[in-house]
Amino acid sequence: MAGLNCAHMFYEYEIDYDTQNSYEKGLNEAFWQFMVIPEDNETQEVTYWHFENDLGERNSVSENGLGFKTVQVRSKKVIDHIRFNAHFKLKKKEINPFDFDLPMNLNDEIEILNSLDFKVDHEPYLRKTRLTALPEQHRDIFLFDSNKSVFENLTDLNYWAFGHLYFKVGVTDVNTPLAEIIEKRHGVCQDFTHLFCAVAKNNGIPCRYVSGYLHQGIGFFGDSQMHAWAEAFVPNVGWIGFDPTNNLLANHNHIKVCHGKDYNDCAPLKGVVYTLGDNETKYSVLVKTAEEQQQQ
Amino acid sequence: MGPDTDKTIFSSYVRKDGLFDEVFGKDGNVKSVYQKLLDLYGARSIEDYVSLNNKAKSSFFNQGITFQVYGDKQSQEKIFPFDLFPRIIDPKEWEIIEKGAIQRSLALNHFLWDVYHDKKIVKDGIVPIELLSSSPNYLHQMMDVDPPSKIYNHISGTDIIKHSDGNYYVLEDNIRCPSGVSYVICNRTALKRALFGVFNHYKTYTVTDYAENLLNLLESVKPPGVDSPVCVVITPGMFNSAYYEHSYLAKAMGVELVEGRDLFVENDFVYMKTTQGPVRVDVVYRRIDDLFIDPMEFHPDSTLGVPGLFAAYRKGNVTLANAPGTGVADDKAIYTYVPDIIKYYLGEEPILKNVHTYHCSRPDELQYVLDHISELVIKPVDEAGGYGISIGNKLTKEEIEEVKIKLKANPRKFVAQPIMSLSVHPTYIDSKESFEQRHIDLRTYTVLGQDKQFVLKGGLTRVALKEGNLIVNSSQGGGSKDTWVLKQ
Repeated sequence: MAGLNCAHMFYEYEIDYDTQNSYEKGLNEAFWQFMVIPEDNETQEVTYWHFENDLGERNSVSENGLGFKTVQVRSKKVIDHIRFNAHFKLKKKEINPFDFDLPMNLNDEIEILNSLDFKVDHEPYLRKTRLTALPEQHRDIFLFDSNKSVFENLTDLNYWAFGHLYFKVGVTDVNTPLAEIIEKRHGVCQDFTHLFCAVAKNNGIPCRYVSGYLHQGIGFFGDSQMHAWAEAFVPNVGWIGFDPTNNLLANHNHIKVCHGKDYNDCAPLKGVVYTLGDNETKYSVLVKTAEEQQQQ
Repeated sequence: MGPDTDKTIFSSYVRKDGLFDEVFGKDGNVKSVYQKLLDLYGARSIEDYVSLNNKAKSSFFNQGITFQVYGDKQSQEKIFPFDLFPRIIDPKEWEIIEKGAIQRSLALNHFLWDVYHDKKIVKDGIVPIELLSSSPNYLHQMMDVDPPSKIYNHISGTDIIKHSDGNYYVLEDNIRCPSGVSYVICNRTALKRALFGVFNHYKTYTVTDYAENLLNLLESVKPPGVDSPVCVVITPGMFNSAYYEHSYLAKAMGVELVEGRDLFVENDFVYMKTTQGPVRVDVVYRRIDDLFIDPMEFHPDSTLGVPGLFAAYRKGNVTLANAPGTGVADDKAIYTYVPDIIKYYLGEEPILKNVHTYHCSRPDELQYVLDHISELVIKPVDEAGGYGISIGNKLTKEEIEEVKIKLKANPRKFVAQPIMSLSVHPTYIDSKESFEQRHIDLRTYTVLGQDKQFVLKGGLTRVALKEGNLIVNSSQGGGSKDTWVLKQ
């Protein structure tokens, strides 16, 4: 199978991220950090970027604590809003999500998961956070089947999470506890992803939150904002992307920006503003293929 | 002379059996290092002593050396209780303390490098992974970051006691933002004013060179490529209990004292706002806790830190002392493993002993602790300043039950140690108008720089002012004494 995948299929995408933040009382000094630059990895490569803000301030490219690129803008003037725009061109490889040999023996998998070296190496993504700790009363909400491989269990979990929550915008936010999401059974991609991560970690599988862009056009859920999905570590295979909001394995439509333990490590916009008044944020994301497909 | 003046400073001093007195031996004889001091002052009256002591105290108020206690209904400034009678440490004993403190600091620095890189000590089964994964101070963001000169714990405060067996034991390692060093220097200044004659009779190491040594070592860990580094001290601000110390150290080192809003980050470099425009900053001695240094990376609502500081640090453009993430090694559960940590990285036997510690996270040890609370000290693993400590033999039955509930609810949060009998030192007690025995400890200050180390020859002797009390922290009503290390 692996040999056939060398067909060198590429998709070319253009991504436009636009945000406007308005501040009722105005700001004397402010600092914003945007985590919106797609990651360069084995399956994707940024070929062009351009950043603009309407304050005339410098857009500095930096890195966050986990090594993902950020854009920082610091304002030194009295202002009442900032508009920031990022434009990218990106090449994405055709991905066959099933491009790996399905496991080895189940016992071998369990042995790896239980080994000290594995727990030490994957400690950051086995660690539970406030957003990814499965509440005690829901510990048994989805149990792994010991007769199935890790990958099969994760695929089942993906399907289960997709069915357990229904997609609804505006009913949850980043502070909504996981227990409430599980009980009310609704949320957005962040909530699907946190639920997936919580169950996976609870079963000893390292799992991380991924923030990125979803090329829509085929009627996927994910609205016109940034998307979220999960990556779980399958022994002897590596990190595999699961999109529980759409019951998909991550594929060429999933353009990764960064990962972290949960949303808080991946927030697309963080800002420190010194103001007393309210603020309002609007943003939009557009992802399109530049040309349909291109064979090299 | 009236009858009262016959009362000399030690005429009503009571020595209790079973306590290790630093000044008097079991037979009541004065120990040799104190002999000269008693020859000079032992025959003076209490009144003389009090008038000298008051003179010294006023120098504290005049210098504004005060502190505040968190959680008091009315926050008010107090002077750190001080008494003129110094603690004197024999040069041979000091040698052990100094070597032991350096050994611990170096071993903990190796440990920090390892847990943020290959994690060999965990994979080799010496330190359990759970101690890292359950520690809020184990920072994911520090993974694979190489701090300049590979140093994490530039400044360590090691708390040492002398037990009734005459041996020194380490009670804890403080390697986040250990404080108190300014009191060491101010105590000495006050003593020199009030008792200047004594220093002609004792060859005592100076402590006033601390700031000079600190600056020297901070400059040695500058980012690569910087010739003459600009250092600053960053403080959470004037409402912080240690603000006096922050301002003192900045002034004594001759560097700027800044708050978060005085700095900014652009293009991953740190700058200080000055009237002459921005000045690049290379080394930050930070007295702000990890989670508040940069709202982009840690607590998003922190206004104490500098946005973008961590990115600049990660890129190697600025040194932070201590490095972020050192708190994982000053967890009191890690403390138990320090002797193993020393053997593992240095291949040496620990010079200073540890106090035996029970981990409540281990079921059998938890059971032992629950059965023996009245003989143990129960400590939360992640609090500093003596907060949350329960001393078993001082608890009522109801309090013991409360402690048991807390332990069972969150065993990982607690460790327990046998109640150590801290040595006692004659201490002037205002309300009694006489000297009495009070328990003491010693906080030492160790600074690690590029290929060099410095231990302040003295340190802060802290005194538990309440009779029989074993907690010496200033936030718990402790006082302090000037501490002399004698030259050989």
